[in-house]
Amino acid sequence: MTDFVEQCRREWRRLGVPDPVAEEMAADLATDLLEAETEGVSVEELLGSSAFDPRSFAASWAAERGVVPARPDGGPRRRRPVGLIAFTAVAAVAVVVAAALLLSGEPKVSVVTRTAHLRVPPPVPAPAGAGGQVLSASAATPVEWILLLLAIVALGFAAWLWSGWARSRSSDVAV
Amino acid sequence: MALGAQRRTDLLRGVLDLCLLAVMDEGPAYGYEMTRRLRDRGLAIVGEGSIYPLLGRLEREGLVETYRAASNGGPPRKYYRPSGAGRLALAVGVSEWRAVRDAVDAVLAPVKVEVAT
Repeated sequence: MTDFVEQCRREWRRLGVPDPVAEEMAADLATDLLEAETEGVSVEELLGSSAFDPRSFAASWAAERGVVPARPDGGPRRRRPVGLIAFTAVAAVAVVVAAALLLSGEPKVSVVTRTAHLRVPPPVPAPAGAGGQVLSASAATPVEWILLLLAIVALGFAAWLWSGWARSRSSDVAV
Repeated sequence: MALGAQRRTDLLRGVLDLCLLAVMDEGPAYGYEMTRRLRDRGLAIVGEGSIYPLLGRLEREGLVETYRAASNGGPPRKYYRPSGAGRLALAVGVSEWRAVRDAVDAVLAPVKVEVAT
């Protein structure tokens, strides 16, 4: 019983519950447990399943009472990550734009990936002094497909970042 | 936890705050005293959790007032009693509970329960 109260006290200290409040809660709990014991009521009967998890019990009590100070780096009231929101928005817009371009018909933008400069003889005898004609041949890749691919990858990356953020937030709330 | 006990815990969870407000409305009480009053009325199984976090929430929401006083010559205890807002919440909650209870009874009343021995 004393050990249970002591573990609660440690948890409150870890959570940053002000000492006077933590002492008050510990004293109330200790006297209640003592009274229950004298009446033959076990800790399990008094606290239910919380009797086996003093840390969760202490954290839950402090949180419900509103005596857990908000952490400067966020905590349960963590702000939404503005950078991540912007990144997700840009990726989503890129997906929509790329998809719209692809659906609208022929690719209108292309990237020159290879250019071969050929020096060929002129089809007709060149006048004296002319060396030949330069032609350019290019193999073009539709930039829409590249944009769509990159945007989807970025969106997936954003989803992964969001899931990590949600996990850390839910664990904070649980505390 | 057995299915029946789990259901009782789930059912009680939604109205335990009302039960606490009701027993402290009979007279100011400290934590264990409230547990005892509940137990005397057959609510011995609180199950998961306990009344303490709930009392903390009621205090945070201003539904209870607290003060410290000695209990029968023992150490000072923290006594709880409903505030004005708490009494209002109790009245509203009891009304809601009765409406839900009557509706559920209307559905479940025709069910015949046969217990094999």
